[in-house]
Amino acid sequence: MADEAPIPVAEPDESAKTGGKPSMFVKVYAPFQVYFEGDAYSVSAVNDVGPFDILPKHRNFLCMLAPCQLVVQPVTGNAKKIKIHRALMHVKADKVVVFMDV
Amino acid sequence: MRRPLEIKAEEASVRSVVSLTSALESLSSMQIAKTKNKVLISNQFFDEVWNIYKQIRVDVLFNFGRAPEEKPINKELLILITAKAGLSGDIDQRLIRKFLERYDEAKHDVLVIGYHGALKLKQAHISYDYYFDLPEQDYINVDPLMDIIRKYARSRIFYQNYISLGQQTIEDVDLSEVVSSKGRVADLDTVGDSLVSEKTYIFEPSSFAVAAYLENSILRLTISQFIYDSRLAQVASRFRAMSAAKERSVETAGTLHVEYNRAKRNQVDTRLKESLAGLKKIRAEGAEV
Repeated sequence: MADEAPIPVAEPDESAKTGGKPSMFVKVYAPFQVYFEGDAYSVSAVNDVGPFDILPKHRNFLCMLAPCQLVVQPVTGNAKKIKIHRALMHVKADKVVVFMDV
Repeated sequence: MRRPLEIKAEEASVRSVVSLTSALESLSSMQIAKTKNKVLISNQFFDEVWNIYKQIRVDVLFNFGRAPEEKPINKELLILITAKAGLSGDIDQRLIRKFLERYDEAKHDVLVIGYHGALKLKQAHISYDYYFDLPEQDYINVDPLMDIIRKYARSRIFYQNYISLGQQTIEDVDLSEVVSSKGRVADLDTVGDSLVSEKTYIFEPSSFAVAAYLENSILRLTISQFIYDSRLAQVASRFRAMSAAKERSVETAGTLHVEYNRAKRNQVDTRLKESLAGLKKIRAEGAEV
């Protein structure tokens, strides 16, 4: 019996609303305050290794952030800058969560 | 029987107690709503961090973020979270009672948070080793507390737990146990695809550094959560105490009002009797003349 090639299933086009540019979900929050929540094109921050950017399709990533200015480039509107004192960043499946003050 | 004016004055002072307890009851009610909302919001945050911690930590040896070469003090640190002042019902008294059941001067050092608890300990002739004010702000900096906890081999926290508006309990838990018991859920079989390991994740600067950082974060969040819970339980206890005080003072004011009316009627009756007696005497004297 011949192997049948799997039929590719069309995934809903998430990038349609962003004009074809891939985006990801970003949430930056502390226990009592949400600083940013929504879709974004990129997140830039600094950790002990140095400055870095998170873009859509990034690999699973877990890191401690160094005191810095976190920059979120949202799908709509201007870049949002958030001052970080101490935070943890978790990236998984196009979802970036920054836990502040932990 | 007391004079009506005396009773009226007492009734007036009880009425002012009614107003005061009523105002404090309303204030506590507002504080409960506000604090409860904050606790709910923060719980969502804590749960998400816990979830990552559960997936990353597979060893259960929680060591308070101490370096392996650090030798801890071989005593148990007892941490008491109490109210900043009185008027919070019997909740602090119950906490102190529970603490006294365990306390042994030779085996324990004491850290107290909240002025009311410190005062109660002084009254019980127990000296504490560390003291902190109960934080009032949303953001709680527990770093100074953690520096102390890290010095000890074991730490136990006594806190007030909010069950409902009518019920607040006193709990005591071993800090390392509470952290590792939640971490133990991170059984490799249960975490499945969500396991956070070097195979599935990039860690920066390293997996050990991130795990150690998370261990500290979890301890920090656990202590903060206990403080938030205690604050909620304290306002609920204050609400209960104020409601009871208001009820009692309303009752007392009612009783005093009845007593005042009775005393006043009695006074009028006495005067009337005296007047009638006087009138009778005058009439009798007039008849004689």
